[in-house]
Amino acid sequence: MLWYKSWLETRWRFVIGLGLLMLSAASTVVVYPQVVKLLPMASNVDLSGEIGRRVAESVELSRDYRGYVWSQWFRQNMTQLWTLFAVLLGTGGLLAQSAGGGALFTLSLPVSRNRLLGVRAATGLAELLVLAFIPSLLIAVLSPTVGQTYGAGNTLVHGACMFIGGAVFFSLAFLLSTVFSDVWRPLLIVLCVAIMLALSGHVFPDLARYSLFRVMSAEVYFRGGGLPCLVLTASTAVSVAMLYAATRNIARQDF
Amino acid sequence: MADSFIIETDELRKNYGPVEAVRGLNLQVPAGSICGFLGRNGAGKTTTIKVLLGMARPTSGHVRVFGLAAEAQQASVDIRRRTGFVSDDKDLYGYMTVEEMVRFTAAFFPRWRADLQQRYLRTFELPLDRKVKALSGGMRTKLALLLALCRGAELLILDEPTSGLDPAMNEEVLRALVAHVASEEMTIFFSSHQIAEVDQIADRVVIIHRGRTVVTGALEDLRENFRRIQLVFDGEAPEPALRAPGIERVWRQGRVLTILSSAGAERILDEARPLNPVSVDVVPVTLKEIFLETVLTED
Repeated sequence: MLWYKSWLETRWRFVIGLGLLMLSAASTVVVYPQVVKLLPMASNVDLSGEIGRRVAESVELSRDYRGYVWSQWFRQNMTQLWTLFAVLLGTGGLLAQSAGGGALFTLSLPVSRNRLLGVRAATGLAELLVLAFIPSLLIAVLSPTVGQTYGAGNTLVHGACMFIGGAVFFSLAFLLSTVFSDVWRPLLIVLCVAIMLALSGHVFPDLARYSLFRVMSAEVYFRGGGLPCLVLTASTAVSVAMLYAATRNIARQDF
Repeated sequence: MADSFIIETDELRKNYGPVEAVRGLNLQVPAGSICGFLGRNGAGKTTTIKVLLGMARPTSGHVRVFGLAAEAQQASVDIRRRTGFVSDDKDLYGYMTVEEMVRFTAAFFPRWRADLQQRYLRTFELPLDRKVKALSGGMRTKLALLLALCRGAELLILDEPTSGLDPAMNEEVLRALVAHVASEEMTIFFSSHQIAEVDQIADRVVIIHRGRTVVTGALEDLRENFRRIQLVFDGEAPEPALRAPGIERVWRQGRVLTILSSAGAERILDEARPLNPVSVDVVPVTLKEIFLETVLTED
């Protein structure tokens, strides 16, 4: 029944996230014919600097459907939205419920705090797993409607990288939710961290190769470099460490 | 520690940073008793209850419930499996309906009493399909009580169970509690500000003040032993050096000397007679007076 409770607590965040991601995935596919029409015009536009370079790169990638999907969906829309919902699903929990949310009732149940937190984390991660795969699979399903194909295998690899890399944001929000008793501070701190990570890739291009967002978008895999197993393992280790720290933190809390 | 005590604390201390919430509390609640836990706001009642249930960890001292150490994680889970609890805030999950809340709670207690669940749903007239957040304060208290009573628990810990209720609902809840105890074998430990309701249903009382026990015992014994002795003199009342046991408070006002005793009046009267009072009056003391006198004396 703890699963059911966790589901009830997070279901709206999950459903809204799933809806937005599916809408975004569908629109990515549907607008592709218009993008193709605009591509010849884009070659006449002369943009300089980092923005120009990125636009030119996107234009080049969009000449091929797989490149377009990666550039628009996996690297941009999905990464941004998924990160936001990873943070949202990571916030809340026992400490946030200590003021009017039934935390004392929960703690009066014959369940250890480790189990309470474990179920809460597992529910959030399961929801994130769905958010990582289902909208991307929608791209594979809808692609024939615009005369293209996109392999389901590709979506699974990208979904796995998105989930494993992005779980770091979830875990950080989860950990901070065992420190702060409101949902806003963990949310804002992790979003600030995410924005700073994204900006650091632009400000320090040499660091971009270590960017978490690069792991999430599976750029190395897209460019034919195989799976970044080492980085994925490191991300998993960081997430596990933060989730463990969260359980230790709650175990020593007084309510 | 004796097995006959369901709850036992020994020099329990709990600090929140520099604040000493509980300061060496000694508590013994015998099996099968209905123990009222009285104290002023901030006396340490809720903190003590949280320590008993593993929600807060003691700074020092020992806490045993059912003979199990409350600060040990697994033991605490076992304690909670055998205990029903109503918190002072009565906060439940606002997003669940009454039915979901009952089903959710029942799943954690193998000895859940479905028969009592049906009975209390009828008695308390709880609407199954209504969200908890849409219930009135009184209805939420009744639901919290139902969820505690149906656990098949051996111990009920209630923190201000009737706070915020109107007199009619207060009476209804108390009657339900008394009827429950009459039909089930269990121990009840409940905190309250309402001395009248402690007087009404408790057979034992613990009064704490500033984190320490100041009065403890069977209510009948307290009623029997606590006496107010009033001595009136011809002139100014003397300042006697009384050595009889149980003198809680002595105060003089003009010709009148008043003594509050927790050990009857006989020994004090024996000592006071040589002072030649013109009149002697011995009156029993109510629980309210015991509470006020002991707490005020401590202040």
